[in-house]
Amino acid sequence: MENVIELKNVTKKFKGFSIKNIDLQVKQGFITGFIGANGAGKSTMIKMMMNLLKPETGEVKIFGLDYKTHEKAIKERIGFVYDGNVFFEGMNLKDIKRIVGPAYKHWDDDLFYQYVEQFELPLNKAMKTFSKGMQMKASLAIALSHHAELIIMDEPTAGLDPIFRRELLDILQELMIDGSRTIFFSTHVTTDLNRIADYIALIQSGELVFNQSIHDIAENYALVKGGTELLDRDTEKDFVHVHRGPTGFEALTDNVKAVKDTFGDTVFIERASLEDIMYYLKGGLQYV
Amino acid sequence: MFNLIRRDVILQKRLLLTFIPFIAFFIIMDAHPALTFLVASIFMPINAFAYDEKAETNILLNSLPYTRKEVIASRYLGAIVYMVSAIGVTSLAFFVFNKPFAITDIAIASGLFLVFSALTFPLFYIFKRGYVSPVVLFSFLFLALIRKPVVSFISEHLTVINNFVASLSITTLYAGAAVVIMTFYAVSWGITTIIYQRKVF
Repeated sequence: MENVIELKNVTKKFKGFSIKNIDLQVKQGFITGFIGANGAGKSTMIKMMMNLLKPETGEVKIFGLDYKTHEKAIKERIGFVYDGNVFFEGMNLKDIKRIVGPAYKHWDDDLFYQYVEQFELPLNKAMKTFSKGMQMKASLAIALSHHAELIIMDEPTAGLDPIFRRELLDILQELMIDGSRTIFFSTHVTTDLNRIADYIALIQSGELVFNQSIHDIAENYALVKGGTELLDRDTEKDFVHVHRGPTGFEALTDNVKAVKDTFGDTVFIERASLEDIMYYLKGGLQYV
Repeated sequence: MFNLIRRDVILQKRLLLTFIPFIAFFIIMDAHPALTFLVASIFMPINAFAYDEKAETNILLNSLPYTRKEVIASRYLGAIVYMVSAIGVTSLAFFVFNKPFAITDIAIASGLFLVFSALTFPLFYIFKRGYVSPVVLFSFLFLALIRKPVVSFISEHLTVINNFVASLSITTLYAGAAVVIMTFYAVSWGITTIIYQRKVF
């Protein structure tokens, strides 16, 4: 089976915000980074994948199974890490393990202690005394100790210092070595993704903009710079967004080939970073 | 499922240390045995809710391989399990302090406990977190205070009900009450399950 997560035409409305007709497939054996601005709908989507929220229309399938009939079987195979600490904050890691461990059929105590040692986590200190990074490591240790095939993480790098962020990314990369695991994680720190993600899904105001491999993105998207006199209605059609400045224009394209054909050598074409893409897709700076 | 029930012991192990002095206090103060049994039974389930009210706990429980039905079932079954053990421990304490108590006290206490649970458990899933624990505590104290006037009011004015109750044999009365309470508890369980399944975290 190729798609571990499959969302079909998923819609969910809230007051003043909605998720609109999302189709998303997450491929097995890869790391998919889920990006979007704050409030774009990342957490809502993750909650729907975890069955904490139910979509109004459309279907959510994990491992090809639906939550209605296979809720336990699905969750048995998922490891989750959330933004905040969801564990009882007054408790120590040992007690949390006592509560969480027996919930899983494939819980592995040895593996858990191995991660505890690797992450240098104290077993007998209350969770609330942990730093943000340690809480994150603790959540990760728990998420990894039942041989989960799919790891879903909501903003795991938020609030972490750069060094630990890198450490975390290394850990995730190590997990991928056996090839059967899938990692899906949301973030708004795009630099994390350049390092480890195979696929990037971008969500904006509740709509999925794209879900492509990192190579395809590098190939299709680019920043184009040139003189404003080159722009007209015809030449502009290959740009997602154009920003006109006093010295020239800067634009984002999702079709590098077409731009090369149109402009030839009259423009500079640069690689667009994920941040550039997010920024321009959002409409860039809004001028009145 | 068993793990969900056992979770409360792990969560409350420190609090459980205060259980014995708490019960001993009631016994030494010569509180009515039925009241002592009742308070002992309520101790754990209500504390458990104090933990469960937090949104994070619900996110955790529902991300683990449990269904929402099981989470609620563990609450209702757990309440019975903890009631039985609390009654056991309290009876033992009565023996130790050499104070008399009757089986009727246990019957009344467990009956009241089940009614109380059936009434309050759904509230924990309806109201916003943070509000329910105080509400329940105060209503419990309030009910305890108005209990006497209400009972005397009923016995004075509602003679029909009174006569009907008086006409029943003790066995029928107890059996009837047991059936009514059990049904009530089961209905409450069903309602809470429906509420919980519709919840959003």
